Amino acid sequence: MTLKVENIAKAFGKNKVLQNVSFEMNPSSLYGIVGENGSGKSTLLKIIVGEWTSDSGKISVCDRLGYCPQKTLLFSQLTVDEHFRYFAAAYGIEKAELVRRSNSLMDYFNFKKFEKERIANLSGGTQQKLSLVIALLHKPKLLILDEPYSGFDWDTYLRFWDYTNQLREEGCAILVVTHLIMDKKQFDRVYNLEQGQLS
Amino acid sequence: MRTMRILTGLSMISKMLFRRKIILIALIVIPLVFLTIVELTAPSRIIPFRIASLDIRIFIRELLKEIALVFFAVTSSGFLVSLIALNLVQIENDVNRRLVICGYHPFELLISNLLVLLLLIITIAVYIGLLVSWFVPISHFPMFIFGLMLIGYVYGCYGLAIGSMIKGKLEGVFFIVLLANIDSGWLQNPMYYAGAHNNAIIRYLPAYYPSQSAIIAAFTDYSGANAIVYSILYGTGFLILALLIFYNKMRIKK
Repeated sequence: MTLKVENIAKAFGKNKVLQNVSFEMNPSSLYGIVGENGSGKSTLLKIIVGEWTSDSGKISVCDRLGYCPQKTLLFSQLTVDEHFRYFAAAYGIEKAELVRRSNSLMDYFNFKKFEKERIANLSGGTQQKLSLVIALLHKPKLLILDEPYSGFDWDTYLRFWDYTNQLREEGCAILVVTHLIMDKKQFDRVYNLEQGQLS
Repeated sequence: MRTMRILTGLSMISKMLFRRKIILIALIVIPLVFLTIVELTAPSRIIPFRIASLDIRIFIRELLKEIALVFFAVTSSGFLVSLIALNLVQIENDVNRRLVICGYHPFELLISNLLVLLLLIITIAVYIGLLVSWFVPISHFPMFIFGLMLIGYVYGCYGLAIGSMIKGKLEGVFFIVLLANIDSGWLQNPMYYAGAHNNAIIRYLPAYYPSQSAIIAAFTDYSGANAIVYSILYGTGFLILALLIFYNKMRIKK
Protein backbone atom coordinates (compact mmCIF):
# COMPACT_ATOMS: atom_id res chain seq x y z
CA MET A 1 0.00 0.00 0.00
CA THR A 2 1.31 3.45 -0.92
CA LEU A 3 -1.01 5.64 1.11
CA LYS A 4 -3.55 4.85 3.83
CA VAL A 5 -5.68 7.62 5.32
CA GLU A 6 -7.84 6.50 8.27
CA ASN A 7 -10.57 8.57 9.92
CA ILE A 8 -8.85 11.95 9.58
CA ALA A 9 -10.62 14.86 11.27
CA LYS A 10 -9.60 18.48 11.43
CA ALA A 11 -11.41 21.54 12.76
CA PHE A 12 -10.44 25.20 12.92
CA GLY A 13 -12.36 26.47 15.91
CA LYS A 14 -15.98 25.43 15.39
CA ASN A 15 -15.46 24.92 11.66
CA LYS A 16 -15.15 21.17 11.05
CA VAL A 17 -13.13 21.08 7.83
CA LEU A 18 -12.53 17.32 7.67
CA GLN A 19 -14.61 14.57 9.29
CA ASN A 20 -13.69 10.88 9.24
CA VAL A 21 -11.87 11.06 5.92
CA SER A 22 -10.59 7.62 4.90
CA PHE A 23 -9.16 6.18 1.69
CA GLU A 24 -6.17 4.19 0.51
CA MET A 25 -4.05 4.07 -2.62
CA ASN A 26 -2.09 1.26 -4.21
CA PRO A 27 0.88 1.48 -6.59
CA SER A 28 0.00 2.71 -10.11
CA SER A 29 -3.35 4.13 -9.04
CA LEU A 30 -4.56 7.60 -10.02
CA TYR A 31 -7.11 9.21 -7.71
CA GLY A 32 -8.68 12.61 -7.85
CA ILE A 33 -10.25 14.66 -5.09
CA VAL A 34 -12.57 17.46 -6.18
CA GLY A 35 -14.37 20.02 -4.12
CA GLU A 36 -15.34 23.65 -4.06
CA ASN A 37 -13.00 26.39 -2.90
CA GLY A 38 -12.59 26.14 0.87
CA SER A 39 -13.88 22.56 1.04
CA GLY A 40 -10.72 21.35 2.82
CA LYS A 41 -8.80 19.80 -0.10
CA SER A 42 -5.53 21.59 0.63
CA THR A 43 -5.97 20.98 4.37
CA LEU A 44 -6.20 17.24 3.69
CA LEU A 45 -3.05 17.33 1.57
CA LYS A 46 -1.14 19.35 4.15
CA ILE A 47 -2.02 16.72 6.74
CA ILE A 48 -0.96 13.88 4.43
CA VAL A 49 2.47 15.44 3.72
CA GLY A 50 3.03 16.27 7.40
CA GLU A 51 2.78 20.04 7.23
CA TRP A 52 -0.18 20.11 9.63
CA THR A 53 -1.44 17.70 12.26
CA SER A 54 -4.91 16.21 12.24
CA ASP A 55 -7.12 16.31 15.33
CA SER A 56 -7.63 12.55 15.07
CA GLY A 57 -7.00 9.67 12.71
CA LYS A 58 -3.94 7.98 11.25
CA ILE A 59 -1.92 8.28 8.05
CA SER A 60 0.59 5.83 6.59
CA VAL A 61 2.66 7.14 3.67
CA CYS A 62 5.40 5.39 1.68
CA ASP A 63 8.92 6.76 2.05
CA ARG A 64 9.38 8.45 -1.37
CA LEU A 65 6.81 11.19 -1.52
CA GLY A 66 6.63 13.89 -4.20
CA TYR A 67 4.54 16.93 -3.31
CA CYS A 68 3.57 19.81 -5.57
CA PRO A 69 1.73 22.43 -3.49
CA GLN A 70 -0.99 24.69 -4.85
CA LYS A 71 1.12 27.80 -4.35
CA THR A 72 4.36 27.68 -6.37
CA LEU A 73 6.74 27.55 -3.43
CA LEU A 74 10.08 28.60 -4.92
CA PHE A 75 12.95 30.87 -3.86
CA SER A 76 12.55 34.09 -5.82
CA GLN A 77 16.28 34.92 -5.81
CA LEU A 78 17.55 31.50 -6.94
CA THR A 79 17.79 30.24 -10.51
CA VAL A 80 16.06 27.15 -11.89
CA ASP A 81 19.35 25.27 -11.84
CA GLU A 82 20.00 26.25 -8.21
CA HIS A 83 16.56 24.96 -7.23
CA PHE A 84 17.46 21.59 -8.67
CA ARG A 85 20.68 21.50 -6.63
CA TYR A 86 18.95 22.60 -3.42
CA PHE A 87 16.09 20.09 -3.68
CA ALA A 88 18.45 17.34 -4.87
CA ALA A 89 20.35 17.81 -1.60
CA ALA A 90 17.04 17.40 0.26
CA TYR A 91 16.19 14.21 -1.66
CA GLY A 92 19.74 12.86 -1.48
CA ILE A 93 20.30 12.66 -5.25
CA GLU A 94 23.92 12.45 -6.46
CA LYS A 95 25.24 15.12 -8.83
CA ALA A 96 25.53 12.99 -12.00
CA GLU A 97 22.05 11.57 -11.51
CA LEU A 98 20.67 15.04 -10.87
CA VAL A 99 22.09 16.43 -14.12
CA ARG A 100 20.57 13.52 -16.05
CA ARG A 101 17.14 13.80 -14.44
CA SER A 102 16.85 17.58 -14.43
CA ASN A 103 17.90 17.86 -18.09
CA SER A 104 15.43 15.19 -19.08
CA LEU A 105 12.55 16.85 -17.17
CA MET A 106 13.39 20.36 -18.42
CA ASP A 107 13.49 19.06 -21.99
CA TYR A 108 10.21 17.24 -21.53
CA PHE A 109 8.38 20.22 -20.08
CA ASN A 110 10.16 22.61 -22.43
CA PHE A 111 11.84 25.11 -20.11
CA LYS A 112 15.54 24.27 -20.42
CA LYS A 113 16.20 27.71 -21.90
CA PHE A 114 15.34 29.21 -18.48
CA GLU A 115 17.86 27.06 -16.59
CA LYS A 116 19.99 30.04 -15.51
CA GLU A 117 17.10 32.46 -14.92
CA ARG A 118 16.07 33.61 -11.47
CA ILE A 119 12.54 32.67 -10.42
CA ALA A 120 11.58 36.33 -10.00
CA ASN A 121 12.07 36.74 -13.78
CA LEU A 122 9.99 33.71 -14.83
CA SER A 123 6.33 33.64 -15.91
CA GLY A 124 3.73 32.04 -13.61
CA GLY A 125 3.39 29.06 -15.98
CA THR A 126 7.12 28.34 -16.00
CA GLN A 127 7.24 28.62 -12.22
CA GLN A 128 4.38 26.10 -12.08
CA LYS A 129 6.32 23.72 -14.34
CA LEU A 130 9.41 23.99 -12.13
CA SER A 131 7.31 23.40 -9.02
CA LEU A 132 5.92 20.22 -10.59
CA VAL A 133 9.33 19.04 -11.80
CA ILE A 134 10.79 19.46 -8.29
CA ALA A 135 8.15 17.01 -7.05
CA LEU A 136 9.19 14.55 -9.80
CA LEU A 137 12.95 14.89 -9.39
CA HIS A 138 13.48 11.85 -7.11
CA LYS A 139 11.13 9.47 -8.98
CA PRO A 140 8.49 9.38 -6.24
CA LYS A 141 6.42 6.32 -5.31
CA LEU A 142 3.54 8.60 -4.34
CA LEU A 143 2.93 11.91 -6.10
CA ILE A 144 0.59 14.40 -4.47
CA LEU A 145 -0.47 17.31 -6.66
CA ASP A 146 -2.51 20.26 -5.42
CA GLU A 147 -4.13 22.10 -8.37
CA PRO A 148 -1.12 21.16 -10.52
CA TYR A 149 -2.17 22.39 -13.95
CA SER A 150 -3.99 25.64 -13.17
CA GLY A 151 -1.23 27.74 -14.79
CA PHE A 152 -0.41 25.40 -17.69
CA ASP A 153 -0.99 26.08 -21.37
CA TRP A 154 -2.73 23.38 -23.41
CA ASP A 155 0.50 21.78 -24.69
CA THR A 156 1.93 21.55 -21.15
CA TYR A 157 -1.40 20.18 -19.90
CA LEU A 158 -1.19 17.33 -22.45
CA ARG A 159 2.45 16.68 -21.63
CA PHE A 160 1.53 16.59 -17.95
CA TRP A 161 -0.97 13.77 -18.56
CA ASP A 162 1.48 11.88 -20.79
CA TYR A 163 4.10 12.05 -18.09
CA THR A 164 1.60 11.04 -15.42
CA ASN A 165 0.72 7.93 -17.41
CA GLN A 166 4.41 7.04 -17.75
CA LEU A 167 4.80 7.39 -13.98
CA ARG A 168 1.83 5.12 -13.36
CA GLU A 169 3.37 2.46 -15.59
CA GLU A 170 6.47 2.64 -13.39
CA GLY A 171 4.33 1.99 -10.28
CA CYS A 172 3.86 5.52 -8.98
CA ALA A 173 0.54 6.28 -7.25
CA ILE A 174 -0.81 9.75 -8.02
CA LEU A 175 -3.27 11.84 -6.04
CA VAL A 176 -4.56 14.96 -7.80
CA VAL A 177 -6.55 17.51 -5.88
CA THR A 178 -8.40 20.12 -7.89
CA HIS A 179 -11.59 22.14 -7.98
CA LEU A 180 -12.21 21.08 -11.56
CA ILE A 181 -11.62 17.76 -13.33
CA MET A 182 -12.01 17.97 -17.08
CA ASP A 183 -11.23 14.38 -18.00
CA LYS A 184 -12.67 12.00 -15.42
CA LYS A 185 -11.84 8.86 -17.40
CA GLN A 186 -8.10 9.43 -16.75
CA PHE A 187 -8.73 8.61 -13.08
CA ASP A 188 -9.24 5.27 -11.35
CA ARG A 189 -11.43 7.02 -8.85
CA VAL A 190 -12.63 10.55 -8.18
CA TYR A 191 -13.76 11.54 -4.68
CA ASN A 192 -15.91 14.54 -3.95
CA LEU A 193 -14.98 16.42 -0.77
CA GLU A 194 -18.13 18.01 0.57
CA GLN A 195 -18.91 19.22 4.08
CA GLY A 196 -15.68 17.64 5.31
CA GLN A 197 -16.46 14.16 4.01
CA LEU A 198 -15.39 12.15 0.96
CA SER A 199 -18.10 10.66 -1.22
CA MET B 1 24.78 13.66 3.16
CA ARG B 2 24.08 15.78 6.24
CA THR B 3 27.24 17.88 5.65
CA MET B 4 26.39 18.16 1.96
CA ARG B 5 22.91 19.44 2.83
CA ILE B 6 24.30 22.01 5.26
CA LEU B 7 26.90 23.23 2.73
CA THR B 8 24.31 23.41 -0.06
CA GLY B 9 22.04 25.36 2.31
CA LEU B 10 24.91 27.69 3.21
CA SER B 11 25.66 28.37 -0.45
CA MET B 12 22.02 28.93 -1.46
CA ILE B 13 21.14 31.12 1.55
CA SER B 14 24.22 33.30 0.92
CA LYS B 15 23.25 33.69 -2.74
CA MET B 16 19.67 34.61 -1.85
CA LEU B 17 20.84 37.13 0.72
CA PHE B 18 23.44 38.95 -1.36
CA ARG B 19 21.30 39.04 -4.48
CA ARG B 20 18.93 41.37 -2.66
CA LYS B 21 20.25 44.85 -3.28
CA ILE B 22 18.70 46.28 -0.12
CA ILE B 23 20.90 44.00 2.00
CA LEU B 24 24.09 45.21 0.34
CA ILE B 25 22.96 48.82 0.55
CA ALA B 26 22.08 48.43 4.25
CA LEU B 27 25.40 46.73 5.00
CA ILE B 28 27.45 49.51 3.42
CA VAL B 29 25.29 52.57 4.02
CA ILE B 30 23.87 52.21 7.56
CA PRO B 31 27.22 52.17 9.43
CA LEU B 32 28.63 54.84 7.13
CA VAL B 33 25.65 57.16 7.69
CA PHE B 34 25.56 56.57 11.48
CA LEU B 35 29.26 57.28 11.92
CA THR B 36 29.40 60.22 9.49
CA ILE B 37 26.52 61.97 11.27
CA VAL B 38 28.24 61.46 14.65
CA GLU B 39 31.53 62.72 13.24
CA LEU B 40 29.84 65.82 11.84
CA THR B 41 27.67 66.63 14.87
CA ALA B 42 29.31 65.44 18.11
CA PRO B 43 31.31 68.09 20.02
CA SER B 44 35.07 67.65 20.39
CA ARG B 45 35.51 68.26 24.11
CA ILE B 46 37.04 65.93 26.66
CA ILE B 47 34.71 64.54 29.31
CA PRO B 48 35.19 62.09 32.18
CA PHE B 49 32.93 59.04 32.10
CA ARG B 50 32.44 55.81 33.99
CA ILE B 51 32.29 52.35 32.42
CA ALA B 52 29.45 50.50 34.10
CA SER B 53 31.10 47.11 34.46
CA LEU B 54 34.37 48.48 35.89
CA ASP B 55 35.02 49.69 39.44
CA ILE B 56 32.85 52.68 40.37
CA ARG B 57 35.96 54.78 41.15
CA ILE B 58 37.43 54.39 37.68
CA PHE B 59 36.83 57.36 35.42
CA ILE B 60 38.04 57.55 31.82
CA ARG B 61 38.71 60.87 30.11
CA GLU B 62 38.01 60.84 26.38
CA LEU B 63 36.73 63.10 23.61
CA LEU B 64 32.91 63.08 23.60
CA LYS B 65 33.00 62.57 19.82
CA GLU B 66 35.13 59.42 20.20
CA ILE B 67 32.84 57.96 22.86
CA ALA B 68 29.83 58.62 20.62
CA LEU B 69 31.55 57.02 17.62
CA VAL B 70 32.36 53.83 19.52
CA PHE B 71 28.85 53.73 20.99
CA PHE B 72 27.22 54.10 17.55
CA ALA B 73 29.55 51.45 16.10
CA VAL B 74 28.14 49.02 18.68
CA THR B 75 24.57 50.13 17.97
CA SER B 76 24.83 49.83 14.19
CA SER B 77 26.52 46.38 14.42
CA GLY B 78 23.73 45.01 16.59
CA PHE B 79 20.93 46.60 14.60
CA LEU B 80 22.23 45.44 11.22
CA VAL B 81 22.90 41.84 12.25
CA SER B 82 19.53 41.63 13.98
CA LEU B 83 17.62 42.83 10.91
CA ILE B 84 19.45 40.43 8.60
CA ALA B 85 18.94 37.52 11.01
CA LEU B 86 15.23 38.30 11.08
CA ASN B 87 15.20 38.23 7.29
CA LEU B 88 17.09 34.93 7.15
CA VAL B 89 14.47 32.95 9.03
CA GLN B 90 11.37 34.89 8.06
CA ILE B 91 11.65 35.36 4.30
CA GLU B 92 10.46 32.42 2.15
CA ASN B 93 9.68 30.35 5.20
CA ASP B 94 7.06 28.38 3.24
CA VAL B 95 9.69 27.27 0.72
CA ASN B 96 11.95 26.16 3.56
CA ARG B 97 9.02 24.08 4.79
CA ARG B 98 8.85 22.47 1.36
CA LEU B 99 12.55 21.60 1.65
CA VAL B 100 11.81 19.91 4.98
CA ILE B 101 8.96 17.91 3.40
CA CYS B 102 11.45 16.84 0.70
CA GLY B 103 14.02 15.59 3.21
CA TYR B 104 15.92 18.43 4.90
CA HIS B 105 16.01 18.26 8.70
CA PRO B 106 14.96 21.59 10.27
CA PHE B 107 18.27 21.70 12.18
CA GLU B 108 20.24 21.32 8.92
CA LEU B 109 18.49 24.40 7.58
CA LEU B 110 19.00 26.28 10.83
CA ILE B 111 22.71 25.39 10.94
CA SER B 112 23.07 26.69 7.36
CA ASN B 113 21.36 29.92 8.45
CA LEU B 114 23.62 30.17 11.51
CA LEU B 115 26.76 29.75 9.39
CA VAL B 116 25.60 32.55 7.08
CA LEU B 117 24.86 34.67 10.15
CA LEU B 118 28.31 33.96 11.58
CA LEU B 119 29.97 35.10 8.33
CA LEU B 120 27.84 38.25 8.41
CA ILE B 121 28.67 38.97 12.06
CA ILE B 122 32.41 38.76 11.30
CA THR B 123 32.12 40.84 8.10
CA ILE B 124 30.02 43.55 9.74
CA ALA B 125 32.24 43.71 12.84
CA VAL B 126 35.44 44.02 10.79
CA TYR B 127 33.91 46.59 8.41
CA ILE B 128 32.51 48.78 11.21
CA GLY B 129 35.64 48.31 13.32
CA LEU B 130 37.83 49.52 10.46
CA LEU B 131 35.50 52.48 9.81
CA VAL B 132 35.61 53.55 13.47
CA SER B 133 39.35 53.09 13.73
CA TRP B 134 39.68 55.66 10.96
CA PHE B 135 38.11 58.29 13.28
CA VAL B 136 39.11 57.01 16.75
CA PRO B 137 42.41 55.57 18.04
CA ILE B 138 41.27 52.19 19.42
CA SER B 139 43.32 50.86 22.37
CA HIS B 140 42.88 47.15 21.66
CA PHE B 141 41.65 46.72 18.11
CA PRO B 142 41.23 42.88 17.98
CA MET B 143 39.26 42.90 21.27
CA PHE B 144 37.17 45.83 20.04
CA ILE B 145 36.29 43.84 16.89
CA PHE B 146 35.45 40.91 19.15
CA GLY B 147 33.14 43.19 21.16
CA LEU B 148 31.36 44.15 17.92
CA MET B 149 31.07 40.46 17.07
CA LEU B 150 29.50 39.85 20.49
CA ILE B 151 26.80 42.49 19.97
CA GLY B 152 26.24 40.89 16.53
CA TYR B 153 25.91 37.48 18.17
CA VAL B 154 23.47 38.61 20.87
CA TYR B 155 21.32 40.73 18.56
CA GLY B 156 21.62 38.22 15.69
CA CYS B 157 20.25 35.46 17.92
CA TYR B 158 17.50 37.86 19.07
CA GLY B 159 16.64 38.45 15.38
CA LEU B 160 16.53 34.68 14.77
CA ALA B 161 14.25 34.18 17.77
CA ILE B 162 11.88 36.99 16.66
CA GLY B 163 11.92 35.74 13.05
CA SER B 164 11.08 32.19 14.18
CA MET B 165 8.31 33.40 16.48
CA ILE B 166 6.59 36.09 14.39
CA LYS B 167 5.27 35.56 10.86
CA GLY B 168 4.56 39.17 9.85
CA LYS B 169 7.48 41.09 8.35
CA LEU B 170 6.41 44.46 9.71
CA GLU B 171 5.77 43.07 13.19
CA GLY B 172 9.22 41.44 13.16
CA VAL B 173 10.94 44.68 12.14
CA PHE B 174 8.97 46.51 14.85
CA PHE B 175 10.34 44.22 17.58
CA ILE B 176 13.90 44.61 16.25
CA VAL B 177 13.70 48.40 16.01
CA LEU B 178 12.02 48.68 19.41
CA LEU B 179 14.73 46.80 21.29
CA ALA B 180 17.65 48.16 19.25
CA ASN B 181 16.41 51.70 19.75
CA ILE B 182 15.77 51.50 23.47
CA ASP B 183 18.61 49.19 24.46
CA SER B 184 21.69 49.53 22.25
CA GLY B 185 20.69 52.89 20.77
CA TRP B 186 19.87 54.71 24.00
CA LEU B 187 20.21 53.07 27.42
CA GLN B 188 23.69 51.61 26.82
CA ASN B 189 25.11 55.02 25.90
CA PRO B 190 27.83 55.57 28.56
CA MET B 191 26.75 59.21 28.85
CA TYR B 192 23.17 58.23 29.63
CA TYR B 193 24.08 55.25 31.80
CA ALA B 194 26.26 57.33 34.16
CA GLY B 195 23.28 59.48 35.15
CA ALA B 196 20.54 56.84 35.07
CA HIS B 197 18.43 56.46 38.26
CA ASN B 198 17.91 52.74 37.92
CA ASN B 199 20.81 51.17 36.09
CA ALA B 200 19.91 47.67 37.35
CA ILE B 201 17.32 47.50 34.54
CA ILE B 202 19.93 48.53 31.98
CA ARG B 203 22.25 45.74 33.14
CA TYR B 204 19.66 43.09 32.24
CA LEU B 205 19.17 44.29 28.67
CA PRO B 206 20.84 42.30 25.85
CA ALA B 207 23.25 45.00 24.64
CA TYR B 208 24.74 45.69 28.09
CA TYR B 209 27.55 43.12 28.18
CA PRO B 210 28.59 43.36 24.51
CA SER B 211 28.62 47.19 24.73
CA GLN B 212 30.76 47.02 27.84
CA SER B 213 33.14 44.61 26.18
CA ALA B 214 33.58 46.87 23.11
CA ILE B 215 33.90 50.10 25.13
CA ILE B 216 36.44 48.59 27.57
CA ALA B 217 38.55 47.36 24.62
CA ALA B 218 38.27 50.70 22.80
CA PHE B 219 39.32 53.00 25.65
CA THR B 220 41.03 51.07 28.48
CA ASP B 221 43.58 48.39 29.31
CA TYR B 222 41.19 46.66 31.73
CA SER B 223 39.90 43.14 31.18
CA GLY B 224 36.43 42.66 29.75
CA ALA B 225 36.39 38.90 30.41
CA ASN B 226 33.19 38.98 32.48
CA ALA B 227 31.38 41.00 29.83
CA ILE B 228 32.49 38.51 27.15
CA VAL B 229 31.26 35.49 29.12
CA TYR B 230 27.88 37.06 29.92
CA SER B 231 27.46 38.22 26.29
CA ILE B 232 27.98 34.67 25.06
CA LEU B 233 25.51 33.34 27.65
CA TYR B 234 22.89 35.96 26.73
CA GLY B 235 23.22 35.27 22.98
CA THR B 236 23.10 31.51 23.57
CA GLY B 237 19.84 31.93 25.49
CA PHE B 238 18.27 33.64 22.48
CA LEU B 239 19.79 31.01 20.19
CA ILE B 240 18.25 28.12 22.15
CA LEU B 241 14.88 29.88 22.08
CA ALA B 242 15.20 30.38 18.29
CA LEU B 243 16.20 26.72 17.78
CA LEU B 244 13.22 25.41 19.72
CA ILE B 245 10.64 27.63 17.98
CA PHE B 246 12.13 27.05 14.52
CA TYR B 247 12.24 23.29 14.99
CA ASN B 248 8.69 23.16 16.30
CA LYS B 249 7.39 25.17 13.34
CA MET B 250 9.32 23.34 10.63
CA ARG B 251 9.23 19.72 11.75
CA ILE B 252 7.14 17.15 9.91
CA LYS B 253 4.04 16.43 11.97
CA LYS B 254 3.13 12.77 11.97
